[in-house]
Amino acid sequence: MLQVLFNSLVYASMIAVIAVGVALCYSILRFANFAHIQFAVVGGYLTYSFAAIPGLPLPAAVALSAVATGLIAILVDFLVFSRLRDITPEGKMIVSWGVALFLRSVVAIIYGGGARVFDLSYEVVAIGDAVFTTLDALVVVVAAALMLLLHLFLNFTRVGSGLRALASNADLAVTRGIPGDRLIKLMWFLSGALAAIGGTLLAFETRLQPNMDLIILLPVFAAVTIGGLSNVFGAVLGALILSVAQNLLIYIDFGALLGGDSWQIPTQFRDYVAVLALVLVLLLRPRLSPLAGR
Amino acid sequence: MLDFAIYCLTIVAVWSVLGLSLNIQFGLTGLVNFGQILPFGLGAYAAALAARAGMPWPAGAALGLGFAVVVSLLVLLPARRLSQDYWALITLGAGELFRLTALNAPSLGGADGLTVPRFADPHLALACALALLAAAWFMALRIARSPFGRMLKVLREDEVLAATLGRNPVTYQRTVSIIGWAMAAAAGVLYAHIVGYVSPSSFTVTETFIVWTALILGGPGNTLGVVVGAAAVQLLSVSSRFIAGWIDLPADVLANGRLALFGLVLVLMFLFRPQGLIPETREVRDAERH
Repeated sequence: MLQVLFNSLVYASMIAVIAVGVALCYSILRFANFAHIQFAVVGGYLTYSFAAIPGLPLPAAVALSAVATGLIAILVDFLVFSRLRDITPEGKMIVSWGVALFLRSVVAIIYGGGARVFDLSYEVVAIGDAVFTTLDALVVVVAAALMLLLHLFLNFTRVGSGLRALASNADLAVTRGIPGDRLIKLMWFLSGALAAIGGTLLAFETRLQPNMDLIILLPVFAAVTIGGLSNVFGAVLGALILSVAQNLLIYIDFGALLGGDSWQIPTQFRDYVAVLALVLVLLLRPRLSPLAGR
Repeated sequence: MLDFAIYCLTIVAVWSVLGLSLNIQFGLTGLVNFGQILPFGLGAYAAALAARAGMPWPAGAALGLGFAVVVSLLVLLPARRLSQDYWALITLGAGELFRLTALNAPSLGGADGLTVPRFADPHLALACALALLAAAWFMALRIARSPFGRMLKVLREDEVLAATLGRNPVTYQRTVSIIGWAMAAAAGVLYAHIVGYVSPSSFTVTETFIVWTALILGGPGNTLGVVVGAAAVQLLSVSSRFIAGWIDLPADVLANGRLALFGLVLVLMFLFRPQGLIPETREVRDAERH
């Protein structure tokens, strides 16, 4: 059981760091940005490239990648989304897929289709019969620290309050003298940088490959939906709920429960939980109003 | 060369049907379906399963259409009366689930997929594809010009207005989805018999967005535009093998370059010509001046 908790925490950490960016963007610009997933992929690959620079320590490579991906997010907004502020949310969603398709293909052209692995050394720690690695611990600590910093930034700084004001009522916030355009740029930078770190953590735990976007697409959007699309910390909670549900489902021995031979759900089927959670939330959403954010 | 032209035309016809099926959902009704590859895949896999069971092709076609209708009702159950953000997420999730199921279920062939008997005669394949396209085109025009179609456009522009006119948006959305999904499933059945095999890699999210690119390029809401868009996108796809011959590029770079171009086209169309190459003709009637 402890193992389920460890696995859930590690997985939720990676998903949450990526998912908060989707929620940030939705809360201010009111559209589901599917290109966000590609920011995570771009960030993972950029970390790989920066880490290859001799003499550059890995944390510096991650930081550089986060800054670079944040700037890429601002650039994408400048070139595309800032010119389309007035179209329907559906239109923006479709455009974001165009951006995603472009980014994903460019990454695949530059880095090729093969998988790349970070060469990290870590130790295995055992508590009872549950095991985790020092890398797992690092992932959870980094994610928790980032979420705490984001919380402090959004709730206890002037700029953070500005962002929240923009999210709750953009027109009013701008009328009251909040620099909307500059804060939107900041929002893009934040979500791009967070996505890059999330993508890097995911690459540390698994490996880099161009189709890693398909692996995180459903979990990330399910987490954001569980949290109510525009609720930043709802997305974190969503990631935790989803992750625990997924790992529990794989852990439970359904065969033994039903009195037969041991049979567990194959791990490939854990994305079903993501979609199932999505469907359940949508069916029950009116009754989930405390989570729904809006 | 003639054989290749016949093949190109066949593929264009099949993808045009898929484009039309998306158009009656998005172009006419404003439903954002990010999983349009799902009914297409259902049709293709139904054809393959029927063939494996030794059934004739009409059984496969019937099975495919049946699957598509049932699954469309299931998928739209949670999506009804929700905003288009959620509609997009649900359809996207359903499409991915189908791909994952096909990839992980050994009875569906797994990653290797299943083989399907191909058309013995490419001319017959072309004739079937063109017949299906003609049927889909006729149906799309009939829908667009009927009172039902006009109400769909009202629904697209303003759901509340449609409701105040005494029409139930959910009923309309359901009917449109069933028609659209059945159309895509028919295209899928035909596609499986043309290509000769089905595998999960043919039904990814990316394929859905190739259809979207065709739709946005041609002109959402315009039947002719969608076919032109599908033709442009698919001709570019099949001609890339010639381009590979002229310029010395590895196949995967070329394939990804093509996808990058599609993404770029989608974005550029939204930025500079959101109405598409062939815009929808909008009827403007002034209520004041009669």
